[in-house]
Amino acid sequence: MSAATTSSALPFRRWLALSVAGFVAFFAIWWLIAASGLVQRQFLPTPPEVIEKFAALTQSPFVGYTLQQHLASSFGRFAAGFGLAVLIGVPLGLLMGWFRWLDAIVTPLFDALRFVAPIAWVPFAALWFGTGIGGPVLIIFSGAFPPCVINAYRGAKFVERRFVEAAQTLGASHYRMITEVLLPASIPSIVAGLRISAGLGWQSLVGAELIVASSGIGYLLVKGQANISTSIVMSGMIAIGIVGFVIDALLRVLERRINARRGIAG
Amino acid sequence: MKRQIAALAAGITLGFATTAASAQQLTEIKISYQPALYWALPFYVAEQKGWYAELGLKPVFSTFPAGVPQIAASASKSWDVGGAGSVPATLGAVRYNLLTIGITNDESYGNALLATAKTADGFVKNPSSIKGQTIVLTANSTGDYAVQSCLAKWGLKKSDVTVKSMGQAEIISAMSSGNADLGGLWAPNTYTMEEKAGAKQICSGQDAGAAVPGALMARADYAKENPQNVAKFLAVYLRAWKWLNAHQADGIAMMKKFYEQGGVTISEASMKKEFSTRPTYDLAAQLKIMRRPAGGASEVDGWFTKIGAFMQANGTFPEAPAASKFITDEYMKMVDADPKLKAFANRAN
Amino acid sequence: MAASKARRPPWVGVATFVVLAAAWYALTTLTHTISPGRFPAPGETWDALRQIAITGYADARLHEHILHSVKLVLFGFAAATAVGVPLGLAMGASRAFEAFINPSFLLIRPIPPLAWIPLAIVWLGLGDAAKVLIIWFAAFVPAVINSYSGVRAIEPHLLEAARTLGVPRAMFVREVLIPGALPMIFTGLRLSLQACWTTLVAGELIGAIAGLGHVLYQASLDIFPAMIVVGMAAVAVTGAAMTALLGAVERRAMPWRTR
Repeated sequence: MSAATTSSALPFRRWLALSVAGFVAFFAIWWLIAASGLVQRQFLPTPPEVIEKFAALTQSPFVGYTLQQHLASSFGRFAAGFGLAVLIGVPLGLLMGWFRWLDAIVTPLFDALRFVAPIAWVPFAALWFGTGIGGPVLIIFSGAFPPCVINAYRGAKFVERRFVEAAQTLGASHYRMITEVLLPASIPSIVAGLRISAGLGWQSLVGAELIVASSGIGYLLVKGQANISTSIVMSGMIAIGIVGFVIDALLRVLERRINARRGIAG
Repeated sequence: MKRQIAALAAGITLGFATTAASAQQLTEIKISYQPALYWALPFYVAEQKGWYAELGLKPVFSTFPAGVPQIAASASKSWDVGGAGSVPATLGAVRYNLLTIGITNDESYGNALLATAKTADGFVKNPSSIKGQTIVLTANSTGDYAVQSCLAKWGLKKSDVTVKSMGQAEIISAMSSGNADLGGLWAPNTYTMEEKAGAKQICSGQDAGAAVPGALMARADYAKENPQNVAKFLAVYLRAWKWLNAHQADGIAMMKKFYEQGGVTISEASMKKEFSTRPTYDLAAQLKIMRRPAGGASEVDGWFTKIGAFMQANGTFPEAPAASKFITDEYMKMVDADPKLKAFANRAN
Repeated sequence: MAASKARRPPWVGVATFVVLAAAWYALTTLTHTISPGRFPAPGETWDALRQIAITGYADARLHEHILHSVKLVLFGFAAATAVGVPLGLAMGASRAFEAFINPSFLLIRPIPPLAWIPLAIVWLGLGDAAKVLIIWFAAFVPAVINSYSGVRAIEPHLLEAARTLGVPRAMFVREVLIPGALPMIFTGLRLSLQACWTTLVAGELIGAIAGLGHVLYQASLDIFPAMIVVGMAAVAVTGAAMTALLGAVERRAMPWRTR
């Protein structure tokens, strides 16, 4: 039978129909399980109940702010942590790709810290930064940092040798080599890294806000839990999911644009 | 015309200068607490009423979800003074040289062991049936202390039960969904569980004869350098309690707002219960319970010594701190000695 | 980084650690630039290690904690692989299936594993199931994505050849699809395993009575930085060891790949 291959791209109408069907199926199954009483109603509200609560949270404040305000607060922390990760990670990765000795020093450290979850840094975040934005930013940074470094490093390491050699014969300094040869050639890898980094950074938000008691979507989640309000918890999860999805979609568009400009299939 | 403009400009600048100068007279003081807790209410009330400014203080508040991160944050000097439970305060004394300078309230009733609606009666009738059960509580907290005191009251040992440690929110989730029958909570979480999940309080610190105070703290180095500010901080806190006790109806209205900000909605009856079950101390009472008879221990010393022993037995630290080392009534005495501060602290309006 | 590791002599890595250890000692114990409240000194950390290994900490000894955590990681990893790999392969093989499943995947994927804790507790209680669920949410994503990419990366002429030869479905999956996608499947497994270890700490927040995540949580409640460092190191070492094991399995499974 002809299914013994991977199929070629679907016609748009078919794709749309199936996607919509899949989307609907997700909610239908959720609704069914919720309505069936398999799980106590309090702990698995139906989709409309959650949507209602979600809408309510955008109108009336919970733990001091509306849903959007909490999201804005969280996004600020995320932006700071992610920005810092990019600003430090990308140059570090490029430098590691160029200077062997730096690679030798940093890589073992990196491999060691790779398995340490961002959340494990929470006690140190409180110890070192106390209050304010420093603590959450540290957690988000610890999640967002590795992909920035790794992808910049890979990009720099796998630049075509002839470009590097050509620049060397022309007598390029280290600085010019990195900024004018390695960096441009690494852009696709770096941008791919940014996407992963943003995803991990945004995901670290809930852990980051464990030491926060003022605002934020992670804080809202915990407070919803303390109020035995599963719909608030799920609204928080949905809000985190939506923003995470949007950030990823935007970066994917950026990635595709950059790759298209450089003639790489995206 | 030019002269008039010049005069106006000079007038405005002078106006700004004087307000800036008077604004500069307010000294910043960093105060930490945890939101939606009874003993933190005075901080909110005092700020709303502008009493800090009356003493020349400008409070910069920082809030923490629990005692532990609050204590940890003192290491980076991010707060100068604050309030917390007596258990975190003791931990702070050991780790970061935090002084206990006063008592926020007696929360022995407000720290308790709760059981789910289904199981509560059974445990009350026969406490020894708690043997072999799982109790969920927040380790290193006043709730932990209350639960272990209750176990001791019933002749049970910690090893007779399985203790699982988690945050208050997780405890609420576990108990309300029937995945845990016994839990150690503090108010207002106790009221949330009672009202929203039908749980019952089966033994509090009070029932177990364990005094559970709340502590007012100051960083030792800050207190040494700014004793006046610490005394003022205490005076404002004391005044706020005086006012709250004298104007309970208004107090409850403010409590509702304050608790809602921290994500807690409990009934008015429960809020009234907070007032009726948790004694607070005015200046004279604070001095009394903190007074050390010649070479002896004060009442507060006794409370904290027991708490220190409990934490040592838990393995939190190898040796409990000596109460006389970190508990001091020096700053309360300063309030008492200064007629202006004393009068301020005793105002009920 | 794996590529250059082969060229770099191993003593460089060792030398780096020696230098860092010396710096650590100097900054904490010798000059007190970093105060003990901020970051533990080597001496304290060693004491903490001895405490947990010999006397015990957080209700158990180090090897018991490690065993508990390894057990959870294996369960989570197995569950994530059992669901994620077939799902990814199917999505890669059939555009129709991909179109149908993708919305659900995209809805679930951005939600952080930690955010599932409240639901995990009320649905599954405080036992291992809830912890494994948290780990599963983190680990199944790389398994799906990489299996999918693996299928998509199979050279089209191989697939054409299979079609023209009229290969039946079962044999196609066994002899063309899986071997073709295997390199990327293993990449996914490696990432999955890593995700299991990083999420373990979150998972063990749900009523653990032993485990490395439990150690880290207890140490944070005790504000015991030296023990936190010991816990982190234990996670790193055990995680690296399991990854190395997985690498060995990978080399046996794909002997035709020279690395």
